[in-house]
Amino acid sequence: MNSILQVSNLSKRFGTFTAVDNISFSLKKGEVLGLLGPNGAGKSTTIQMLLGITTQSSGAISYFGKDFDKYKRESLQRINFASSFNSLQGKISVLENLLVFALLYDVKNPMAKIKELLTYFEMEDLKDKEYWDLSSGQRTRINIVKSLINDPEIILMDEPTASLDPDIADKLISLIERLRENKNLSIIYTSHDMDEVSRLCDRVVFLDQGKIVAEDTPLGLTKRIKNARLQLTFDGKKSDLEKLLKTDKLKYQFINDYVVHIVAKEKEIPTIIFKASEAGVWITDIEVSKPTLEDFFLQIARIKK
Amino acid sequence: MKLHLHTIKAILLQEFYMTKRSLEIIVDVFYFSVVTVVVYGLTTSYFTRQSNQIYPHYLYVGLLLWEIIRINQYTLSVGALWNIWSHNLTNMFVGPLSIAEYLFSYMFSGLFKSIIVFVGISLMAKYLFQFDIFSLGWINLTTFYINLTIFSWTTGILILGLIFKYGTRIQSIAWGLVFIFQPLTASFFPVDALPPLLQKVAYFMPPTYVFEAARAGLTNPLVDWHSFWISLGLNVVYFALSIWYFNAMFNSSKMNGQFVKNES
Repeated sequence: MNSILQVSNLSKRFGTFTAVDNISFSLKKGEVLGLLGPNGAGKSTTIQMLLGITTQSSGAISYFGKDFDKYKRESLQRINFASSFNSLQGKISVLENLLVFALLYDVKNPMAKIKELLTYFEMEDLKDKEYWDLSSGQRTRINIVKSLINDPEIILMDEPTASLDPDIADKLISLIERLRENKNLSIIYTSHDMDEVSRLCDRVVFLDQGKIVAEDTPLGLTKRIKNARLQLTFDGKKSDLEKLLKTDKLKYQFINDYVVHIVAKEKEIPTIIFKASEAGVWITDIEVSKPTLEDFFLQIARIKK
Repeated sequence: MKLHLHTIKAILLQEFYMTKRSLEIIVDVFYFSVVTVVVYGLTTSYFTRQSNQIYPHYLYVGLLLWEIIRINQYTLSVGALWNIWSHNLTNMFVGPLSIAEYLFSYMFSGLFKSIIVFVGISLMAKYLFQFDIFSLGWINLTTFYINLTIFSWTTGILILGLIFKYGTRIQSIAWGLVFIFQPLTASFFPVDALPPLLQKVAYFMPPTYVFEAARAGLTNPLVDWHSFWISLGLNVVYFALSIWYFNAMFNSSKMNGQFVKNES
């Protein structure tokens, strides 16, 4: 697959502070790329530069093989943006807002396009409501509708589910999944929610202090964390099990007299269970929590501290 | 520089919807103009009856013409603020919209609104207070309109540049700053009423020539082409400078991150 977005050595400095430090990445057709990182990592500044509303200090951006600075209008015509931090014009209705954007993007037959999108998102009944009268979940969905008005090939989504209730956020993610399947969209997605990112993204660029510190699939990133969390519920002497754990130099914490949490490498788990049985400890329940993207995120955050 | 009709139509459509639905815009643009014309119409009528002189008419003609400046400048400066307040400015500028198209749309919208208001208040003045600004003649009115409109665009663009650069913490200048030009352009009184230093300043202001010509026109409605050309020449220079300044401010706001911060 060819890259439809190429970011090369992009940097942004505000005075002496470097918000984005010489980052390079690409986006392929149909790919969902996550931009992850702690607060202040440079995610939003990167998105802003990709949209042309913040000017980079150095580096280059090219969309569809053309330099963004030289072909800004052409590029912006083929991409769009959705964020929970931006709204549409509050005083006018949903339909009026969407008509404005349909004209802005020179959409042919705008009414038909708006009807199609509102039907797809099951929001036809809201079209005559003023934007300010919508709930935050409805506003976010209308923002997504706006971002699709021009049939974009790339959508940049900056924390679209921030401040949404979990169930509304889940619905929105399902919608984005459907969109991606049906329209073969390429998406750049930033979020603090690791589950969302694991669910949606094919690849993740992990930023910290403006630099790319990791780039991989969500699974690939989690595999970088070797340890899993093991919860054993047991029947037997606590001291016998503790002796075994100490001998194997494992990190553990007894929750009570019959439940223990152990941190161990995944491949060590069968051995631990086998040895416990041999020591006369009867394991009644086993729960293994594999490393998640959140663990990777926390690991980066802890290294930072 | 190519202007695309569809983006201009988009901004104008948003302006139309906003004007239709926003009580604030209706009050600021239409209500204030009507109240001003009524209050000063009564005042002018009273003083004219008392003194039987033309001086009260100086005030009234200045007020009517000032509305051209106020409405054009307001539309240009406050239009952006509505999008900033709604957190919608980013949405507009991440689309295929150039800053030239954005400015042009608001200049056109301001011109359109000011024509409606000016014709409306002029007819009110004529039929309610027997003050006929149309007696100045269509050529005079057209030349006045051209110069006052260009001046108001210049001030509107300057103020917009400041808002982009410094954000909403200076938003009150969108309404207030233009009024500094009322005394400096001798809007309601002859230039010689100003202190000598300010008289010199006044002659660097394009509207001064318009207001002087309008006052002169009340007694002798001949077209003062000399004043028109001086005013137009100054306007062209100031307008070009305002565009340059705005571009510098706009680019600076994108460079230092203020453009995005405006909405946060």
